[in-house]
Amino acid sequence: MNIRDKILIVEDERSISGFIKTVLVGNGYDVILAHSGAEAFSMVSSHCPDLVVLDLGLPDIDGMDIIEAIREWTQLPIIVVSARTLEKDKVEALDKGADDYITKPFSAAELLARVRVAIRHTRASGIMTGSQKYVSGDLTVDYDKHMVTIKGENCHLTQNEFKIVALLSRCAGKVLTYDFIMKELWGPQSRGSNQILRVNMANIRRKIEKNPADPKYIFTEVGVGYRMVEAE
Amino acid sequence: MNSILKKAQEYFPLSWKGWIVFFLGMAGGSLICTLLQAVSTSDVHVPMIFVLMVLIISMLTDGYFYGILAAVASVFAVNWAFTYPYMKLDFSAYGYPLTFITMLAVGIASSALASRLKEHQKLRLEAEREKTRANLLRSVSHDLRTPLTAISGSVSAVLEDNGAMTEQEKRELLENAREDAQWLYSMVENLLSITRINGAGEIVKKEEMLEEVLSEAVVNFKKRNPDIAIEISVPEDIVFIQMDATLIEQVLLNMMDNSVAHGGKTNQIVISAEEDGDAVAVTVADNGNGIPPRILNHLFDGSLQFEGARGKDSNRFIGIGLAVCKTIVEAHGGTLSARNRPEGGAEFRFTLKKGEETHEYTGQNFDR
Repeated sequence: MNIRDKILIVEDERSISGFIKTVLVGNGYDVILAHSGAEAFSMVSSHCPDLVVLDLGLPDIDGMDIIEAIREWTQLPIIVVSARTLEKDKVEALDKGADDYITKPFSAAELLARVRVAIRHTRASGIMTGSQKYVSGDLTVDYDKHMVTIKGENCHLTQNEFKIVALLSRCAGKVLTYDFIMKELWGPQSRGSNQILRVNMANIRRKIEKNPADPKYIFTEVGVGYRMVEAE
Repeated sequence: MNSILKKAQEYFPLSWKGWIVFFLGMAGGSLICTLLQAVSTSDVHVPMIFVLMVLIISMLTDGYFYGILAAVASVFAVNWAFTYPYMKLDFSAYGYPLTFITMLAVGIASSALASRLKEHQKLRLEAEREKTRANLLRSVSHDLRTPLTAISGSVSAVLEDNGAMTEQEKRELLENAREDAQWLYSMVENLLSITRINGAGEIVKKEEMLEEVLSEAVVNFKKRNPDIAIEISVPEDIVFIQMDATLIEQVLLNMMDNSVAHGGKTNQIVISAEEDGDAVAVTVADNGNGIPPRILNHLFDGSLQFEGARGKDSNRFIGIGLAVCKTIVEAHGGTLSARNRPEGGAEFRFTLKKGEETHEYTGQNFDR
């Protein structure tokens, strides 16, 4: 019998934590529950979970503080649960070190996909960069040849555009914020407007997507960043 | 002491606008009198004209201050410039104190009347707003109650079942419950959207790329309605628009929800954006039954939500959803319209002003 991944759910609303627990247990995860921030701290250190699902609106401690505190000593993946209308919170949580977020209301399938991606990325953080190619549908990103192809045809991306696609595909399934992408691409001192990145992205869409308004590979999370579909 | 000051400020508020109105009014009165002096030797009309000016100034300014000031100033102006002896103050003329008191009284009385009138108007506006709010609350509460009843009913039927129900029946009940819950969620999202627009209709706008907002709205819609085919088309140029993306997505979601909920046989929605001068027009068209002509003209005025509240539950969303669309689009300075397409189905259309920056897509590469 293989060891099951242990997931800590930090959520004060029992009906929601109950629903998340049922879904995760039904799909082969071990689940522990914390109903407050204080409880969450002690459980993170005593149970060493493989992943934390964290609701931002806890009664005792601000969710952002929990993320910061956990990040001081461990890189264990954190998925934040937030309301749709609070894009500022999402960005702040991601910048503080959360791995991903999921917007209420979410389906069981969405939750499982996020959990799977987050666990895989920490497991494979060394291996992912070593892999040669990313393939999804007709799209192939060839890291060695610095080339993106659709159905085998070169998309003629520029240097910058390739770097963006390569970065997103290496983190496929995960949302990357504008700030994160800009820092990865143009160094830590790149500040200010994300306009250039967004225009680059619009050009990429016109090159790799059949219909730029109905993308199949790279999705925009407006106000937050981009997410590339998981590889096949 | 403070309260006295506050009271004084309430009755005698000072403002730039007040001073401007005051000086313009006085100057206007003097000008008219000067002109009339040229054609007539009598000066009976002079006090009348100044009383009129006092009245106008009181009406156009807040509080009592400018009205009274205008009355006093008029008394001096009439005495000094327009009655014999000209260009000289002379209060010794027979009956003058009476004129003085009359003008002052007129000034105070008209200021008081004007203030009362304005207060009245404010009260009436507030009462109207209160009424709208109460109506909205009433219809929302009703709208929330129906699906909640259905959800708790379906779920308890499944829970309390003692083997009489087939799997299929249970599934149907649970599916209905989920559908109702999703409807409730979109209702709450709409209400939250309204709170994002503050009383003055102001919103926090950011430069957003239109195609990204459209596609995110469609992705969210598809999560709930996987069976509806959606086509989107956008201009080849990259269009940036100043907007609150969450709100514009709400508009699109409401329109698409509408197409599905009220179109009857809708299974295809076409969203297209076109540049139209310095604006962009977004249309959401479906292949459903179209909008009944009876309600076509009342779609956005919010009157339908009350029709829904009277028990026509199939209509329950249309009122609030579209009224919210209208509020959002207007807060962005755009326009909203609806029509039936000649080839069948309904079409909703709204416009938004383009940002200053549009990036023409030339197919060429540009790096940083």
